[in-house]
Amino acid sequence: MRLLVVEDDPDLNRQLVSALSDAGYAVDSASDGEDGHFLGDTEPYDAVILDLGLPVMDGVSVLEAWRREGRTMPVLILTARDRWSDKVAGFDAGADDYVAKPFHMEEVLARVRALLRRASGNASSELSCGDLVVDTASARVTVAGNPVKLTSLEFRLLSYMIHHKGKVISRTELVEHLYDQDFDRDSNTIEVFVGRLRKKLGIDVLKTIRGLGYCLSEPDEQA
Amino acid sequence: MNRPSSLAFRLIAAAAVVSIVLLAAAGILLSSLFTAAVERSLDARLQAVMDGLLASVELEGGKPKMNRQLADTRFELPLNGWYWQISQVGGTAENQLASTSLLDERLPITQFDDPGRADGVRQAGYMRDKSGNQLRVIEQRFNLFGSKEQYSFLIAGNFDELQGEVSAFNNALIAVLGLLGAGLVAAIFIQVRFGLRPLSALQIELARIREGEEVRISGSYPDEIQTVTGELNQLLDANTEIIERARTQVGNLAHALKTPLSVLTNEAGIHGGPLGSKVAEQAGIMRDQVSMYLDRARRAARAHTIGTLCDPNEVVKALVRTLERIHIEQGTRVETSYAPAVRFRGERQDLEEMVGNLLDNAFKWSGGKISAAVRPAMHPPDTRISWLDIVVEDNGPGLPDGGAEIAMQRGRRLDETKPGSGLGLNIVFETASMYGGRLTLGKSRLGGLEAVLTLPATGGQG
Repeated sequence: MRLLVVEDDPDLNRQLVSALSDAGYAVDSASDGEDGHFLGDTEPYDAVILDLGLPVMDGVSVLEAWRREGRTMPVLILTARDRWSDKVAGFDAGADDYVAKPFHMEEVLARVRALLRRASGNASSELSCGDLVVDTASARVTVAGNPVKLTSLEFRLLSYMIHHKGKVISRTELVEHLYDQDFDRDSNTIEVFVGRLRKKLGIDVLKTIRGLGYCLSEPDEQA
Repeated sequence: MNRPSSLAFRLIAAAAVVSIVLLAAAGILLSSLFTAAVERSLDARLQAVMDGLLASVELEGGKPKMNRQLADTRFELPLNGWYWQISQVGGTAENQLASTSLLDERLPITQFDDPGRADGVRQAGYMRDKSGNQLRVIEQRFNLFGSKEQYSFLIAGNFDELQGEVSAFNNALIAVLGLLGAGLVAAIFIQVRFGLRPLSALQIELARIREGEEVRISGSYPDEIQTVTGELNQLLDANTEIIERARTQVGNLAHALKTPLSVLTNEAGIHGGPLGSKVAEQAGIMRDQVSMYLDRARRAARAHTIGTLCDPNEVVKALVRTLERIHIEQGTRVETSYAPAVRFRGERQDLEEMVGNLLDNAFKWSGGKISAAVRPAMHPPDTRISWLDIVVEDNGPGLPDGGAEIAMQRGRRLDETKPGSGLGLNIVFETASMYGGRLTLGKSRLGGLEAVLTLPATGGQG
């Protein structure tokens, strides 16, 4: 899952990026509205955390521009202006949720998880596929009740696949959603990760669709 | 209109005083002209008698003597005010001759004495006879044939007889001038009322601005008032601008403080330890203080706004739309009903804060059903103006007995398990009070809480 943080305060930006990275997301960041708008417009983010009070181009304009350009990723707005008129303006511009400053980081994390889950059409924070259960809130993975220990990148890959259960995901798409923009992208490494992940899970849920990419689906569906 | 301090009174009084003074002067002038004309015609008649007298008199041993009687019988009735008299200037009574009407009386001629005066020059004047008649007298002095002495010829007419004519004229004059004066004052009154009508129109428009039905003075006025309305409009604009600026600065302050507070809280959370928890605790207090004082500052900033109106239906609609998105997973159904003609007499932002908090509470507590309604007030606190109700109901647990008062206090929360700062209902309560309105909490027909917000309004009845 790849996220974008647009926040002009350098300390808060750093805190958000590090908390979200620690929670297992690939995170890009921008510190003004124009950069933020450009990144959101060109990179495929799974969710955006957008401050409303931004220099150069304010948050509401950024959001409106994205929605006008057909960008539909969920957007969580951060705002010090917690009046209802600001909330109405934010939601009318196309926001999916808001957190009022000052906030606790846990709240942002919870809202981001909820947004991602909602975007993939899941009602619970526990996503499952056959015996495989991924708890997005606690970042725990179990197979038939037994915990599986994954690295951060492996978790990211599995989390993205399970959020898009049953869909064929190309290697390029995986690369775009697993790494932040500074990462040296090489789609061959994806194959290595998929191999390791299959070995750790021990069940056949992650299938290769020849020439197209990968698909996470229940083991019996293949039969 | 007739209060001494009113502009109309000043204009009318000033015009009335001027016209009364001018009319009185005209009256006096006309009256004296008429008196002079009457005097002249009397003088002409007296002169005719004088000429007759001159033709009828002769000297006999220094004494004047009539050689025939004057035709006019008026000079024979005793003391009737019609007299003639011939006397030697500086002479004795023997050298005098007078009309029979004068009996033994003699009229003094000293008032006509003038050493420099030429022969035959006529003098005129007034005097009174013994019986009190006002006399018009003409006098001429001649050296009669056969004498070196100068003789005074005096003819007197009864002026009182003409006084009646003069007073009749004066009465008519007073009546006509009085009417003219009254007509002038009435015309001035109408003129002033007509002239000052734009001021009443302006007053009505200003009242409408105060009532919040208008924002600026828009009517067209005469040039003199237009300059005033122009200034007033600029004042109104400046007022609005000051409020806007204050509000913007308060908002900027909020933004400026809240971001560092977030950073502090998060940094404290990351590092933990006794220092971390102290910082987190203090940052929490700061957050509450900031929001409390910002809220107060915002309210103070708009306490003196000149009345505005906003559509409560639109506010409820927008907030329901937003809250449904915020609580999208809850799947709560909101039933709304509106009163399209009703307008809230106040700031949109205030109404948004109040209704937003009420709806937010309803969403937090509801069991899936919420009702929000705008309607003319059912129990208006004051029947002189219109009021509206905004009723928010839910099917949640509602308030325990006696919970209503506690719920409206600052920072009090009846249930600590749900998120919130405990400021919500208190803000609603305080803002409503500021507008003279009220918040009533009760039991809803849906089973949960019913919050009725009553606020001043225009449009709709009640």
